[in-house]
Amino acid sequence: MMIQFREVTKIYDNITALRRVSFSIGKGEYVFVTGPSGAGKSTLLKLIYLAEKPDEGSISIAGYSTDTLKERAIPYLRRNIGVVFQDFKLLENKTVYDNIAIALRIRGVGEREIRERVHEALKLVNLRHKADNLPSALSGGEQQRVTIARAIVGEPTVLLADEPTGNLDVDNAAGIMKIFSEIHAKGTTIVFATHNRDLYRNTGKRVIKLDSGNIVYDDME
Amino acid sequence: MLYSFKVALRSLWFYRWINLLSILSIATGLFIFGVVLFSLYNIERATHRAPEKFTITVFLKDRAKESEIQSLVNRLSDEKLISRVKYISKDEALRELKESLKDAAYVLEGLDENPLFPSIEIKLKEDAFNRRDVDYFIKRLRRLDVVEDVFYGEDIFSSIKSLYRNFRVASILLIVLFSVAIVFVSYSTVKILFFKRAEEIEIYKLLGATKGFIRGPFIFEGTMIGLFGGLIGSAGLLALFDLLKGLGNPEIPLVRMLVLPPEIVAVIPVSGLILGLIGSVIAIGRLRY
Ligand SMILES: Nc1ncnc2c1ncn2[C@@H]1O[C@H](COP(=O)(O)OP(=O)(O)OP(=O)(O)O)[C@@H](O)[C@H]1O
Ligand SMILES: [Mg+2]
Repeated sequence: MMIQFREVTKIYDNITALRRVSFSIGKGEYVFVTGPSGAGKSTLLKLIYLAEKPDEGSISIAGYSTDTLKERAIPYLRRNIGVVFQDFKLLENKTVYDNIAIALRIRGVGEREIRERVHEALKLVNLRHKADNLPSALSGGEQQRVTIARAIVGEPTVLLADEPTGNLDVDNAAGIMKIFSEIHAKGTTIVFATHNRDLYRNTGKRVIKLDSGNIVYDDME
Repeated sequence: MLYSFKVALRSLWFYRWINLLSILSIATGLFIFGVVLFSLYNIERATHRAPEKFTITVFLKDRAKESEIQSLVNRLSDEKLISRVKYISKDEALRELKESLKDAAYVLEGLDENPLFPSIEIKLKEDAFNRRDVDYFIKRLRRLDVVEDVFYGEDIFSSIKSLYRNFRVASILLIVLFSVAIVFVSYSTVKILFFKRAEEIEIYKLLGATKGFIRGPFIFEGTMIGLFGGLIGSAGLLALFDLLKGLGNPEIPLVRMLVLPPEIVAVIPVSGLILGLIGSVIAIGRLRY
């Protein structure tokens, strides 16, 4: 199992974002997480990339359990998880190129290899011509594509995407869905959070539906 | 490592005004630090030359006759308190002074007449030492006709010593105080830079950056602020020393005797580096994931 939740509860202040949630996702699976706004989709992803800790229950990722995980190991685990953040989390004072390159710099990759891989990632999301721009000079959709490029440039084993097409027009969204399919074809596990039913309808993929922190549906579409 | 260093250099330049201010405050602190060490060193050197404990110097009247002096020397040699007696004539005293002044000896060239007194240097027996006997002995010496004045080494020595001791305590306090201040400057500078980049750091953590990767640039930066401050402080100390030497006009041979050992010049940037490092390490504190 790549990702396993056992009776996971997450409470913010007095809001229960997730309540006794259990599921598991196998290696190489492509799963959609859906549900209305506030259902707990982002919280579920945050628990996977260890930005939040569960209040109850346990989570294991690639064999590492949150119960026993050493703080020291967290960065190394995160390097195997690419994340497309819902709020992008781009570095405002760095160029598009540097925003993507940083994901490799923290891994200690050499600058020559970084240049190659960043340009490849930029090509994939159709943004080669914007490499030297600052994020503030980009449209919402373009910023979102930079975030996607950063998430995949490190070739993670798990890709978490939180509304990655939320700011994109239909054509661009279709382009991104195609990129995700290609990444998935290479064996990457993908967890894709969205409330847009059009993205998973008729794909035959697994869908986990949340509502108010509970799993209300978990099956093939 | 190299990347951290590059990031640190870029940040040093990007926030150059904050950094410059910190470097200058650290430089000032370390400069004073250096002045204190320099003074301490020279005072210690001076006190080392001070008369020793078991020595009495008897200054003789200028008009004392050779024969009177000789008989006094002979009589003193028989005293049970005394281990050695040495007569130093006016000429010998002048020669000795010239020697101790070394290249500043020309100071004495303008003199028509030898202004020094002849003297007798008495070395006391250390085993038979008794302060009351010594005091009585000195009193007797003072009453003699040929004697101008008597100095007992320990009196001068102990007052210089206690002065030096007080100064040393004050210096250590001052150095500790300045060290704390310098650590604080480095601490607050790095803290400010750390807060300015807090959001960036959160993102780095989420992308899988290790603590070392995040800390590295800040530690380099704090260390470099300390080092640069120290280099400027050293330069200031060298400049001050040159100025003193330049001012060292012939009437103040004391200035000419000042020494600035290279160890002190070197220890300032090193202290800056270490204190800057300590400050930045404290500033970053424990990173949590
Ligand atoms: N940091 C937080 N502090 C307090 N409450 C939070 C926090 N993050 C999320 N919540 C609450 O937890 C619940 C689930 O939030 P979450 O972001 O997981 O929803 P979501 O399904 O991603 O919604 P959306 O589709 O709008 O992104 C919401 O009620 C939200 O208000
Ligand atoms: Mg969300």
